[in-house]
Amino acid sequence: MKLKTWILTCLLVLLFAKGSHAGDVLSVDIFGPGQTKVNILVLPARGPGGPGSSALAKSFSETVQSDISYLPFLRLAYMNEILGGDPSKGLKADDIDFKPLQLGRIDLVMTVGGRGQEIEARVYETYTRKLLLGKAYNQVDEGGVALVADRFCAQLMRVLTGKSGFFDSTLAFSKKVNGGKELFTASALGRGLTQVTNDGGFNVSPNWSKDGRHVAYTNISDKGHRLGVWDRNKRVSRLRKFGGNVAISPTYTPEGRIAISLSINGHPDIYLLDENMNPGSPLAPSWGISVSPSFDLSGRKMVFCSGRLGGPQIFMLNRDSGAVERITYEGTYNTRPSLSPDGRFVVFARLTGDGQRIFIRDLVANQERQITFGPGNDEDPSFDPDGYFVSFASSRNGGVKIFVTTRYGDPAKQIPTGAGDAMAPAWGVAPALN
Amino acid sequence: MNAKRFFASIMMLCMLVALGAGCAKKTTDSMPASATKVEISDKDSDWQSQPAPARSMTEDELRAQQREQAQRELGNMIFFAFDSFELTPESREVLNAKADALKKYSLFTIVIEGHCDERGTSEYNLALGERRAKAAQQFLNQLGIPDNRMTIVSYGKERPLDPSKTESAWSKNRRDEFKIQN
Repeated sequence: MKLKTWILTCLLVLLFAKGSHAGDVLSVDIFGPGQTKVNILVLPARGPGGPGSSALAKSFSETVQSDISYLPFLRLAYMNEILGGDPSKGLKADDIDFKPLQLGRIDLVMTVGGRGQEIEARVYETYTRKLLLGKAYNQVDEGGVALVADRFCAQLMRVLTGKSGFFDSTLAFSKKVNGGKELFTASALGRGLTQVTNDGGFNVSPNWSKDGRHVAYTNISDKGHRLGVWDRNKRVSRLRKFGGNVAISPTYTPEGRIAISLSINGHPDIYLLDENMNPGSPLAPSWGISVSPSFDLSGRKMVFCSGRLGGPQIFMLNRDSGAVERITYEGTYNTRPSLSPDGRFVVFARLTGDGQRIFIRDLVANQERQITFGPGNDEDPSFDPDGYFVSFASSRNGGVKIFVTTRYGDPAKQIPTGAGDAMAPAWGVAPALN
Repeated sequence: MNAKRFFASIMMLCMLVALGAGCAKKTTDSMPASATKVEISDKDSDWQSQPAPARSMTEDELRAQQREQAQRELGNMIFFAFDSFELTPESREVLNAKADALKKYSLFTIVIEGHCDERGTSEYNLALGERRAKAAQQFLNQLGIPDNRMTIVSYGKERPLDPSKTESAWSKNRRDEFKIQN
């Protein structure tokens, strides 16, 4: 679908005069203690004048429902939960009988209408009968309907939670290709799956720059380890060799520099590269292995994995004071940390008796809990830009695939990435390649 | 007497010549027909398209043979405990033999590949694989093999020998491999 076609989309219906106060509108605090679960019912798609709907609108409705299943704070309700069945005669508030919806404890009701290439979608709050979100899309075609549905869900999530990073991000990840691994990108819902590198060897550990323009990664081949940087605008990647034997876990800082584990002093330490890609002095140096740096949004806190005290554990560097603090004490093998943008939570992989599992540590409350439960191995956790969703790779269904959960440990959902093993997902604030 | 002797010598000489001629004739007769054909085809052949001189072929073959032999002597892997890059006594013995082989085959340089099992995570394993390869390199260096004859590549857990999910497979996968580079 051409971009223009849905850029033409416009806001159809304004909030009712009385309902325009933000305070009156239902909102969901996805970060609050004890998550709210909001029930939403999607009514059958209709034509503008009656029950007949276009195939496009039906497809839109199905995709929206599939998208909603990724949002743990929403529960999709079924029509049989409503006394008397479908309580609507049309698409707007006046055409809906809200009473049975209220009785059925439905918080939100969504109507979808379609004629030809036009689609209208509205979400009402059932207790106040207020319109939360109303959108109309013109010139939608079959290829673009999923993207339009994703945009609608992004809006809905933003209205309810104030966040929409899940829909506005692109995942970069490693995928097995011809005996090696190359990098791919796709939306968090698996849309726009595209192979972006073709270097040969193994491309691993992708990490987005904060502006979403570059992906740094490690290329492993018989030439050794090289730092790769893929340029999203130019669609090309460049490889760079460093002294020493390794170039592991390159990670962008919020200022746009790359922190990377190099062994230029004989053992893997984390170095910050300058604008000419030259390493300065190591961050948090030690005689043990140090890899997998991850920064908060301020860039002043860096968590990383280090074997400085024996087995691998998670540590945090305060870049202002230079102090290094040990974060994990339980378990003998804790690796691959990801710091939430606000710097409060660390997710990491812990080797348990049942395999690798993802744990989260609240650095303020000083509490830790498990958020994935296998089976198989769960590893490579990564926070989304909102610090709410956590993506990870898991072998729970046989081959290795990418899954998403939340920091509360909601049931994990698989992200479609096509055939073949996929791992090391990284979130980038950039729309998926079309 | 002298004339008699002279005559006898002449006779012997003639007999020897006749005998020699007879032998030569016999040789010619016994030559296989194909030999003649080869001679004819040689005349028509293009000298430019003749195979490379036998001497250079032998050199290449010899090097390939040596390479193969060196790879066989150097190819033994060494194995590690979980999350460890410490050389075991067995590994040290294997490396001692490798040092001797590397001295014997001084023309060759090697790549030491460090590998890990699948239980650890990818990035930490890449560092651990490097430590494993480095441990072997340092040991060989102490035995007199210069560092410039040894390159290190860590593959972490990207190239398991045995993809099974058993302790026996994992112990096979925690290894250093040694490959001739040139």
